[in-house]
Amino acid sequence: MRPNFFHHLHPPTIPAQQSRWRYTLGAGGTAVFLLFVLAITGMLEMFYYTPTPEQAALSVQTISYHVPLGGLVRNTHYWSAQLLMIVMAAHLIRVVMTGAYRSPRRFNYLLGLVLFVAVVLLNFTGYILRWDQGIQWALVVGTNLLKTIPVAGDALYVMLIGGSQPGPATLIRFYAWHIFGLGLLVVILTGWHIFRVRRDGGIAVPPPRLREDDARITRFELVQREVLAMILITAILFILAIFFPAPIDAPIEQLTTMANDASAPWFFLWVQQMLKWGDPFVWGIVVPLVVMLILALIPYVLPQAQDAELGRWFPKSNRLARLVLIGISLLVIVLTLLALLPGS
Amino acid sequence: MHNVRRMTALASVLLLLSVLLVWFADSRRPQSQALTPRMTGEEEYCIACHTDLPEISPSHPVEIFGCVTCHGGERLALDADLAHSTMRGGNNPSNLSVVEQSCGGSDCHSGTVEEERDHIQRVMTSVQATYTGAIAHIRYTFGAQPDQVAHYGIFNVRDTEVTTSTGVQSLEAFDPSQETNPSIQTFGETCLKCHLSAEPPEGAAFDRLTGCAACHTPDVDSFPEGNVHQLTTAIPYTQCNTCHNRGNYDLRSMDFVERDDNPTDRFHDYYQPIAQFTQCEWTLDCIDCHTRSEAMGDGDIHSNQSEIQYVQCRTCHGTLDELPLTHTIASEDDIALRMAFLNPVVNLSVGDTVLVTEQGEPLWNTRVLSDGTYELVGKATGQVFSFSPVMGTQCTQNADEQESSYCHVCHAVDR
Repeated sequence: MRPNFFHHLHPPTIPAQQSRWRYTLGAGGTAVFLLFVLAITGMLEMFYYTPTPEQAALSVQTISYHVPLGGLVRNTHYWSAQLLMIVMAAHLIRVVMTGAYRSPRRFNYLLGLVLFVAVVLLNFTGYILRWDQGIQWALVVGTNLLKTIPVAGDALYVMLIGGSQPGPATLIRFYAWHIFGLGLLVVILTGWHIFRVRRDGGIAVPPPRLREDDARITRFELVQREVLAMILITAILFILAIFFPAPIDAPIEQLTTMANDASAPWFFLWVQQMLKWGDPFVWGIVVPLVVMLILALIPYVLPQAQDAELGRWFPKSNRLARLVLIGISLLVIVLTLLALLPGS
Repeated sequence: MHNVRRMTALASVLLLLSVLLVWFADSRRPQSQALTPRMTGEEEYCIACHTDLPEISPSHPVEIFGCVTCHGGERLALDADLAHSTMRGGNNPSNLSVVEQSCGGSDCHSGTVEEERDHIQRVMTSVQATYTGAIAHIRYTFGAQPDQVAHYGIFNVRDTEVTTSTGVQSLEAFDPSQETNPSIQTFGETCLKCHLSAEPPEGAAFDRLTGCAACHTPDVDSFPEGNVHQLTTAIPYTQCNTCHNRGNYDLRSMDFVERDDNPTDRFHDYYQPIAQFTQCEWTLDCIDCHTRSEAMGDGDIHSNQSEIQYVQCRTCHGTLDELPLTHTIASEDDIALRMAFLNPVVNLSVGDTVLVTEQGEPLWNTRVLSDGTYELVGKATGQVFSFSPVMGTQCTQNADEQESSYCHVCHAVDR
């Protein structure tokens, strides 16, 4: 069989170990596919979405209810974004739990973290673009957090918001950030991230001399598996999109009035929970940054997996790094659950 | 290899099913029927679901008004929850808390004061909305105020232009917790149930018993789901009775006792045992005699009902010495013609002579006939009644005793 364009995007053969679901969870590839879905559905939404405070929520309603298959496109965009968060988290957990981040993949690990943060911000900016009563609280509280930063806070706020309070300038800025500032950035960084995977010798496995399993698979087999994953994910996205429509709410009437839904988007609930503990600068900005810093430092300061231990889960040598990640994950999960508790 | 192929085949079936699901869900989407009312020029999709809703009144044609102008709501949403989430006043956009946005505006029912067309201002200051009489009287009875002039209403309200001798400039909101007398406190907690912004009884059908709809959306009883969609000026007595025959106050326990029966005989089932009625008072509809100022206020804040309810037997029948006042319709813009236009039970035209109250309000459903008798057409029934003036009859009433209560002495029908 002659390899086609898609086959050519892959190496002719790779060690079979690198392509085992059990090892990689297929998380990185899934993330790339979800990004692709997001780009396509997002572009379709751009034909109807109107980034002005008066029209934004109405244009979202138009997309949801009146554009042919618009609801499907929007719901798929929404669910791809939520799945992407989960898949990226799974990807990060896989990389840490298998010790794959070690040199020479340290830099790519950092690239991945930057991508993670960018995707979280993409998700948040996309959420704000709804500009309806459901996002009102998060918009006001989230942007006010910036003001708490010493020295630069007010300037940062004005830079992001485009004025002394959220308004038309804010929406157009979030729109621009969503599509160019973050969207384009993520596309470029993803390309770089994938390039670095190839440059760093593919997915982490022991060097050839230490490899127990010499089996290799061809790019035909690899593409086949990827197609399988893509079909499955598409089906899941459609099913989610039909049975669980993306949130939508009535247009914002007045940004100064209190919203009836005073909760952050789900991926920021853990931060919202900490905000109840006191100083918003400490709990809302410093702690999340420290969490990111700890994650970034894992390949540089903590003991790493040995060459022979690569390619499988839970290598003994990087136990500490795994404990750190488990700690952080538990923290985020428990805080999120606390925030979800009724009456909290 | 085979494994992947089999999985791919299975996954493809799943994908196919999900695509079928997409197609199925899309085909079940409500048909996006849009209505673009001329007043707003913005398309509304309310009728995608509300297809068989009757037009609310000939004065509010749906092609011009649409739905959202009065009801609010999300005009584009096809999801019931979202579409209804921003509706004004729920089932009743004329609720006094939102009436200004729903029914008001200088082009609509809060038109200019000069023309007495600010109906919302009139209603907001009327005793039906302020409940001044009961509050002032109870406060007076229990020594909280020296006179029976109104100081408090259900809500605070101000009248910028007092035009009558009994008009009050402003009212504070009545707050029972500020009262020292326990009876007044109890009154405040249990008796503030009969005014236009009172909490209606539970049930969708009763949501219409506040604001404009309390009177202008009659016949809710026939619509147990509360889906009545009607505004009219032809208001039958049954609508008045939903409040005015709903029960009675028990002054010993200072409570409002709702009646538990369903009154069917308007004459015998009236809540007030000592009330007296002449024949016309229980055969005509209330609005056949009582005018719009009496019902909706005259724009002034009054201290009680007696200051605004002025139609008496003599308004139509005159006295031994005088015939009732009359008014000949002079122009096309005459208020009598305008009102007859809204409820076309009579064929009125310029040159016709109708009876008129002392305040100059035309009783546009009456007519002076050439033989000196009169005719009245029931506003809600269209029934024609004829009647004669007192003048020239055997009536022996003293000239200075001309209020209705004196007429009742002889003419009341035995209950």
